[in-house]
Amino acid sequence: MNRTLPFLLTFIVGFTIVIATFSPPLDRLAVDTAVFFSIIAVFAMILGGGNLVKINLVKITRRQRDWQFAIVTLVGFFFVLIIGLFKVGNPGGVTGQVDAPGTPFFDVYTYVFVPVGATMYSLLAFFIASASYRAFRAKNREATILLIAASIIMLGATPFGTMLTAWIPDSLDIFEVPNLHFFLMSSPNLAGQRAIMIGIALGVISYSLRVLLGVERSHIGKDGG
Amino acid sequence: MSLDIGVWIGALLTLGIFSFLYRDNPFYKLCESIFVGVSAGYWFCVFFFDNMVRKFYFGVFPSEAGIEPKYFLIVGAVLGALMLTRLIPSIGWISRWPLSFIVGATAGLYMMLFFVSNGLNQVADTMLPLYRETAGGDFDPAETLGTILVFIGTFTGLIYFFFSKEHKGLFGGAARVGIFFLMVTFGAAFGYTVMSRMSLLIGRMDFLFRDWLGLLG
Amino acid sequence: MPPAPGARSIASGGRVLILTLTLITLTSSLLATDPGPGSIAPPTLIMVNDLDYDNGESLTISWVPSLDDVPGQSEVVAYRILRSSGGGQEATIGTVLAGESTFVDQSVNRDSAYVYRVATIAANGGEGYSLPTDAVVPNREWLNWDLVWLFLACLVLGGSVVFFIETARRGKKLFVRKIAGLEAIDEAIGRATEMGRPILYIPGIQDMDEVETLASLTILGKVSRQIADYDTQLFMPVARSLVMTAGRETIKTSYLEAGRADAFNEDMVRYITDEQFGYVAAVDGYMVRERPATIFLLGAFFGESLVLAEMGNSVGAIQIAGTARPPQIPFFVAACDYTLIGEELFAASAYLSGEPRQLGSLKGQDVGKGIAMAVILIGVAAATIAELTGSGFFAGVVSTLQNVFTTR
Repeated sequence: MNRTLPFLLTFIVGFTIVIATFSPPLDRLAVDTAVFFSIIAVFAMILGGGNLVKINLVKITRRQRDWQFAIVTLVGFFFVLIIGLFKVGNPGGVTGQVDAPGTPFFDVYTYVFVPVGATMYSLLAFFIASASYRAFRAKNREATILLIAASIIMLGATPFGTMLTAWIPDSLDIFEVPNLHFFLMSSPNLAGQRAIMIGIALGVISYSLRVLLGVERSHIGKDGG
Repeated sequence: MSLDIGVWIGALLTLGIFSFLYRDNPFYKLCESIFVGVSAGYWFCVFFFDNMVRKFYFGVFPSEAGIEPKYFLIVGAVLGALMLTRLIPSIGWISRWPLSFIVGATAGLYMMLFFVSNGLNQVADTMLPLYRETAGGDFDPAETLGTILVFIGTFTGLIYFFFSKEHKGLFGGAARVGIFFLMVTFGAAFGYTVMSRMSLLIGRMDFLFRDWLGLLG
Repeated sequence: MPPAPGARSIASGGRVLILTLTLITLTSSLLATDPGPGSIAPPTLIMVNDLDYDNGESLTISWVPSLDDVPGQSEVVAYRILRSSGGGQEATIGTVLAGESTFVDQSVNRDSAYVYRVATIAANGGEGYSLPTDAVVPNREWLNWDLVWLFLACLVLGGSVVFFIETARRGKKLFVRKIAGLEAIDEAIGRATEMGRPILYIPGIQDMDEVETLASLTILGKVSRQIADYDTQLFMPVARSLVMTAGRETIKTSYLEAGRADAFNEDMVRYITDEQFGYVAAVDGYMVRERPATIFLLGAFFGESLVLAEMGNSVGAIQIAGTARPPQIPFFVAACDYTLIGEELFAASAYLSGEPRQLGSLKGQDVGKGIAMAVILIGVAAATIAELTGSGFFAGVVSTLQNVFTTR
């Protein structure tokens, strides 16, 4: 029972969706299951939120390292939860859109979310520099090819790239950086993308079949578990 | 310099995150803790109102007359409620049911999605002649070379992904050509992303120097 | 210059023909329709077609535009589509601009019959109504025959996977080549054990409705089984609550299988936040503070891939990454020790399990690859021959193959 029912559920739900692809009256099933998923995800968030609260409370009560910051996390969490769920300061009252502009909830988004998120993302610029440096030093053939292609693409997108090879005679204009850029993107790059995409398609099909047929059952757990 | 408290909070948080590039420090920990707590609460609220209220509640009890109630959504809520059995260890295993439902649905959905968009259509798009002509009917060397490379790259790339044959001899040689194409593809993606990500950093600098400090016009 | 006599007679003959045709058309439209005020010509030949292979939820109305609807002139501004059902009141259901000649009605019910009229709307406010069509009932089809090739392709590919799973189950040994990234897992776990430092497992930032996340959790099952044997510390921060639950279930199963139920602790898997960069901020912080010896980055990654992988690299961890997102793969290649590229991520769990049936499925997908390569080869050869020789037969082969393999 512990394992049979989950297996049957996976099997029936999965193959029903596959069959529904071929039947116009049933093809809405995919959309409906997506709604089911969002509803289940909300219930799961109670577990996730509960976990966040528990972990931080334990940290505080046991005075673990950096316990002071756990207080900050908890205060931030409950503060936003309260202004959001009770729609505090929402001009539309309890029926108003939760993230309507002008609400404290929206302000949190604008002044905390956006700057921190964008800054975290912009760290990428520094990390790209260090990754490129390392790729430069890697002395294997693959890394070299990767780096040459990357350099051509980067140069091709700048005026500097155009200047660099402007001296090449017209009869050999294929070797000018902007043309190489275009050529790389439309031929070898496209070829690699295709091989990867076809491979992924086959990988997903084979993996999905393993799961639906119960060959792969790690999500089902173990009896008595 | 800005007098808006919101901009000040944003600027201090931005600096706090940047300080991590030097080393881990209490300022970064503070920003991290604020961000984690606030964002978890934020998404909880957004998902609650969007999924539970708009999709579920108004799906089952439509607010406007003439819309059919979707009673089947109650099954989704029951499955969701079963997730909460995890809170009681002795019956926690029941949560495998909604998980199995999701796993089945995802596997079924993606199988068809990838088969069509990533598989079949890509094969169809590769069937092009290896001899190309210009619009005027003359031999087009650049187009021809391009098509030949797409063909060779796709073909040898697929050889690289073969699992049930050892990469040795001619087959191994073809697989190495395949890796070459894959590396060019990765290089192209790398270069492309580098160019677009630099603008992110420029955007943050613009916020600090223009919006906060008012140093730029 | 006066035209030559012969030319004049041809020209006048042509004029007579055009005049006659115009008269016939005008008469027929006048007879067939009911001109409204302002006497603008109505559209003619109103056709209602049921859409093939749908759920009986749409009808397509098409017409021959009004004679007054001349491109470049603005006499006609639009067409109005009117509908009545079951002898009820006629109502406007849509309007399209002049020059158009079709309208898709998606507000129909399967069991009702509909009658349509189309009216020309003139710039001066005049309207010209067509005669009503016959009643049409939208039809529902249970099978989409447009997808018959897709169905057959599914049977072939699915069949080959199932066939090899069965073949392997009956004991036939199947060869699977080594995948470097997966061979390194043992070493990576062993290293963490020796150094007494934790292993960090990052399952991507997407939810359980993403197949890469499922694949990652399946790999987690195998990896955590080994970690349980080594008794090394495992930490898995997640960005989705459902992944937290599924991850705990997976690790718990592995620990039970390893006979180490006592060593399992739910807090190995922690929910951080759903926010992409909030999650990254916390995980990067963890890397710097706890200095994990081994990091797995397997699943669906986006812009955060390099922010995580570079941080992991800077703390000296051995990193095994894998994703099916082509734009993120190069970052993993540059910053990690081993990268599972696309298909390898999905093959990993089968490879790691070493179980014959799972390995059989890999052989099955290779057959799919073989078919794809054969089709590409035949298609390219036929297209080239058709291009060089102008052969209709080979052009036909290409278009048939493209037809079979194109499902949009």
